[in-house]
Amino acid sequence: MPKKPAMRRGKPDRGPDKKRRHGPRLPRAMRQALDAMGNGTSRGSDDEEVSDAGAEDLYEYEEGVPEEEARKNGRYDDVAKYEYEFDSDASGADDNVTSEEEEDENDDGEDEEKQIRILEETTGMPKEAFSAKKKKQPLELPSQPGDGPVTIHDLLDNIQGKPGYSKVRKRLQQQEKKTMVVAAPLPKVEREKLERAVTYKEANKELTKWERIVKPNREASTLFFENDVNLGVNTIAAIANKFEPRNRFEKRMNEITQSNEIMEAHRNDGAKILELNKIDVEDVRERQNRLAKMRSLLFRHEMKAKRVKKIKSRTYHRMLKKDKLKAASADFEADPEAAKDYAMKQELKRAEERMTLKHKNTSKWAKRILKRGLSVQDEGTRAAIAAQLQQNALLTRKMNSMKDDSSSEESSDDDEDENDSEAKILNRGKERILKVLEEDKEIPNSGVFSLPFMERAMKKQQEAAYEEARQAVEEYDDSLRKLEDDSTERNEDSIKVTGKRTFGPAKNLPKDVNKKQKLEESENSDGEYDSDPAQHFGNNEATTKKDVQLGTALLDDEQNGLHKSFDVIMKNPGPKTTFEVGMLASDSWKTVKSSKGNGNSSVSGITNKSKIQASTVVPNPKQRDNNPDSDSDSDEEMVEGFLTISDTKENYELPSQAELIRQAFAGDDVEAEFEKDKMEVLNEENPEPEKPALVPGWGQWTDIQQKKGLPSWMIKEHDVAKRNREEALKRRKDSKLKHVIISEHVDKKVEKYLARNLPFPFTSKDVYEQSIRMPIGPDFNPAISVSALNRPAIVKKPGVVIKPIQYEEVNPHQKPDEPKRVIQRAIPHPNAKKVSAKQSKGATSHKRK
Amino acid sequence: MAPARVDTQKGAEEDLEMKVAKYSRGKGADLKALRDKKLKGQLTVKEKLYGQSAKAAAKAEQWLMPTEGGFLEPEDEDLEKTYRVKQESILKEVDILSSRKPFDMILPVLGPYTIEYTSNGRYMLVGGRKGHLAMMDMLNMDLIKEFQVRETVRDVAFLHNEQLYAVAQKKYPYIYNRHGTEIHCLKEHGVALKLQFLTKQFLLASINSFGQLHYQDVSTGEMIANYRTGLGRTDVMRVNPYNAVIGLGHAGGQVTMWKPTSVKPLVTMLCHHAPVTAVAFDRSGHLMATAGVDRKIKIWDLRKYEVVKSYRQQAQSLDFSQKGLLACSNGSEVEIYRDLGGHNYRLYMKHRMMKGYQVGKVLFRPYEDILGIGHSSGLSSILVPGSGEPNFDTFVDNPMETTKQKREKEVHALLDKLPPDTIMLNPNLIATVRAPKRKEKKTKKEIEEEMEEAVEAAKNIERKKKTKGRSKPSKRAKKKEEDVLRAKRPFLEESKEVDGRPDKKQRIGEEVELPKALQRFAKKPQS
Repeated sequence: MPKKPAMRRGKPDRGPDKKRRHGPRLPRAMRQALDAMGNGTSRGSDDEEVSDAGAEDLYEYEEGVPEEEARKNGRYDDVAKYEYEFDSDASGADDNVTSEEEEDENDDGEDEEKQIRILEETTGMPKEAFSAKKKKQPLELPSQPGDGPVTIHDLLDNIQGKPGYSKVRKRLQQQEKKTMVVAAPLPKVEREKLERAVTYKEANKELTKWERIVKPNREASTLFFENDVNLGVNTIAAIANKFEPRNRFEKRMNEITQSNEIMEAHRNDGAKILELNKIDVEDVRERQNRLAKMRSLLFRHEMKAKRVKKIKSRTYHRMLKKDKLKAASADFEADPEAAKDYAMKQELKRAEERMTLKHKNTSKWAKRILKRGLSVQDEGTRAAIAAQLQQNALLTRKMNSMKDDSSSEESSDDDEDENDSEAKILNRGKERILKVLEEDKEIPNSGVFSLPFMERAMKKQQEAAYEEARQAVEEYDDSLRKLEDDSTERNEDSIKVTGKRTFGPAKNLPKDVNKKQKLEESENSDGEYDSDPAQHFGNNEATTKKDVQLGTALLDDEQNGLHKSFDVIMKNPGPKTTFEVGMLASDSWKTVKSSKGNGNSSVSGITNKSKIQASTVVPNPKQRDNNPDSDSDSDEEMVEGFLTISDTKENYELPSQAELIRQAFAGDDVEAEFEKDKMEVLNEENPEPEKPALVPGWGQWTDIQQKKGLPSWMIKEHDVAKRNREEALKRRKDSKLKHVIISEHVDKKVEKYLARNLPFPFTSKDVYEQSIRMPIGPDFNPAISVSALNRPAIVKKPGVVIKPIQYEEVNPHQKPDEPKRVIQRAIPHPNAKKVSAKQSKGATSHKRK
Repeated sequence: MAPARVDTQKGAEEDLEMKVAKYSRGKGADLKALRDKKLKGQLTVKEKLYGQSAKAAAKAEQWLMPTEGGFLEPEDEDLEKTYRVKQESILKEVDILSSRKPFDMILPVLGPYTIEYTSNGRYMLVGGRKGHLAMMDMLNMDLIKEFQVRETVRDVAFLHNEQLYAVAQKKYPYIYNRHGTEIHCLKEHGVALKLQFLTKQFLLASINSFGQLHYQDVSTGEMIANYRTGLGRTDVMRVNPYNAVIGLGHAGGQVTMWKPTSVKPLVTMLCHHAPVTAVAFDRSGHLMATAGVDRKIKIWDLRKYEVVKSYRQQAQSLDFSQKGLLACSNGSEVEIYRDLGGHNYRLYMKHRMMKGYQVGKVLFRPYEDILGIGHSSGLSSILVPGSGEPNFDTFVDNPMETTKQKREKEVHALLDKLPPDTIMLNPNLIATVRAPKRKEKKTKKEIEEEMEEAVEAAKNIERKKKTKGRSKPSKRAKKKEEDVLRAKRPFLEESKEVDGRPDKKQRIGEEVELPKALQRFAKKPQS
């Protein structure tokens, strides 16, 4: 294939133009350029096309079959073919093409150069390779622009007599013999239509096969997902069966239990197992001895521990601890592993402390103490707080060495040691810094660093570094000084503590005094209160005049007290048992009665008397109730009724005057009144239109105007309003009922219980309202149907995995066996239904109770 | 034998069919006319379930409600009259249990008595005008508590069960518990003349001496409503058990019906030409009986607001029994009427108290064939065969309730408490589509929906291709944006109107609460 490289080169050449070239028309220059470059390409591709046997199209069609005839009859020039070649994937017309093509004409030369350069870069071959081949191309081409249409023969002349193209030639000859007319391809629209039809058919087939499965699911009011409830939980026996020994013990056990002897014994008789159980006497004894020894050891150890625990000496415990520590440290030296462990543990503790700040006055206790003031506390608390703080400091301090850390209860000597070591470290650090500073002063004076700006930069850097170092040294000094101060301060602290000790109680004293005073005051005030109520009661007595009058006039002190208490109770409407009231009241009432019986004269007594007289004439209770005046009967009257009725039996009484009058004139003009009321209501709800009237002085300038009267539009408006009103009245529910007023007022609060518009699937109001006519609650339906009426759209047991629907091929020849696996169905599983029914029943019964 | 059996079978089937019809509560919609296939399918399934449920209910009724009510039936209609039958002769015939139920209690001292039963008919509350209160367990005739309030007692009413009851006393109504302990004093009600309790809503309604109607929620203590009737003082008040609407009888002969959420009466009817003395409602809620001073008793159909029947008879108090008997008291006489079909009420029984006793109140005892009578010197109860519902549903009312059941029921009743707005003349209206209003303000959601639609439409407008430069993508985008904005504007204004404030500015003090983690980044108010 000698032409291949040319083809390869040709394609990238056209790269940038690819998208633009479209349609049959091209400027000439362009065409020439194409000719010059692309003939080789075309030929190469032609070879392939021919072998494809008409797998290509030459005209505008983007894809399609080639049309050999087209080439023959010369309707299309070869340019058109190129067009197709390079535009195969360009789609959509572009308006800007023409203008840019003109530019292309000029740029063509440059373009080619550029492309060659690109090719060179991408392939890595020298420039000459591409340009030379390009120049060679036109030599091979037959020059024939202007010689008429290009036929396929023109194009295939070149392969005449060349080896390797025999196949193509043969085919060509065959085709020429046949002269079969290949029909023009259908227009794109038609083709797509057909394609769509086929696709639809296929898709339809694919989808309708699901219908059988999907439709019942869609139609079902409830879907049940309750199959496959096996969640993989096994019985104990099943688990035991699967058991396999893993570790040594288990294996051993297995060996014993599964040994032939025992198995056989099992199978044969239980008695044999007993035989196998026999143990040597000596073995048993030995074991007993061992156990006894262990027990005694344990006991001794326990006793010792108890004794040690009882010891209260601090020093002893401290010594013990130190011993332990020493032992531990000895261990650490001996055993690096243990040391590491210990370090880890300690680190963990520290981290924990840093996290929680447990010892940093964050506890409730510490906070409270701090809030109250440290100075107020006794020394024990203060010491405790100090200890805690120290603990915190120890735990949060960065660890220098293990030894440092482990000293949770270090004495002052240790502290000093520590200080010393710190000072040493600090001194060392200081020295080192100073040394570095001295060293730094040498500046390299060769190479780049000797340049002036570099020098400047270096200097600056050095200065900064120097400053830093100086600061560090100062810090070291400071800390050193502090260390020295610390030791002195500590001493001062202890002094302070003692000072505080002496002052503590002195401070507390005055407060106590204050408190006492307050107490006294409160007591005094209490005393005042005590006296107050007395006054209050006195006031009460004064206010309740009547009682006082009665009481003071007639009753002795004791009764008075009783009366008072009753009063208090009466004043207080809070909850109480009426029984008590009755008890107390009865006495007091008796007293009242007695007072009346005596008929002693007091101001109220007279009024009472008059009332008594009045009440004796009071008609029988039923009538009295009807009489509004009698409703204001007072307590006294009540008592009267209580007393009098017992001795005077009912006697018919005339109804009161007012009652008689009311009854006599009752039905007089009830109807007229009602009509008036109705009119009022109607007017309120549908107000009567105002009578047409002109504003005084307007429209009355002349006689003519006056004669004309009101303008017609006004009258018309009035008429319309009147008619509207009448219609509205007619529409009322009570329009035909003379004796009824039905309020047309729309209750806004009711509106929230009504549907604003028809719910979605419904289109008619009647259907909707009939669909909700049945109550579905348990109060209105038998228990059997409640669950069905209220069943949700999907019933699913927790834990059940809902699998996607699967398509099952149904083999018509298969026996109608049970389905392999039911994924879901519209009817509940018979067993499951029972369960669910039970559940629902339980729920409803529970609800109903 | 065979034909007889067939007959009985047929009869039973017909009976069952009737019951099924009753339980299916009207016919389902015509599904064939529906076009929506899915809806049709759903409704078909639903209807099927309804049918099954109705059938099950009918069958259950057959087994669970075996007792049938009976009446006094004469052998010869013309010669024998049921109203001639005396209590003594009835007593001779009935069983021992029933024979223990009627009694006469003479309590002459503390004046005319009013009575009240709990809804399950087990307990009776007695209020003497002069302050005597007593509660009795009527099942075993036990006196539970009796005490004196030493004040006028105008009316008594049980609350949801016998644990609490309200008493309208001289100045205020009080609430006592079963042991006679005063629980509340309802001062806001004023001088209440009559009390009624709305069980489902837990409302205590009272009418006071100024003609004010009060509604108070006894579970929360909230005063729900306080309306002036403007029709004068009255002590005629009854609650309609069907829809919890309260009926008031007035001196002007009107009967007004009230609900707690409306200031004006729902219905005002001119029933009599003289003061109304008594009002009673049927259990179904469609029948109302009124009595006036004009010596008339009228039966009304409340669906049409028309008189069904009018009788010349005076009555001080009226009551409908569960089975539809109507008792009315007149002086010392008590008469009971029975509906013989078509609201043709005929005298069924007559009972005469001792001369001089004025009957104050007659009240049928629920689930028993007993009429309680409170009169001027005590109370009595008589047997009225066929008055009470023979089968009780323990889920509704259980006369044999245990303590535990009572507790459970109380909790359930509270959970199922209906809000006071649900009281309306036709409670079946709930959940139906409301009648369209002429001019209605759109809700915010609706406005938003409309706006979205408009924006969608604006986005889809195809623009013509313009000459060079004018249909650049940027310009097109700009134009589209403008279009959308223009489409939005009217809706935004509308929504602003609905809100009553512009949405951009947030009100001071109505700051958005940041999640706690982000609060530290919030700017602190400068001050």
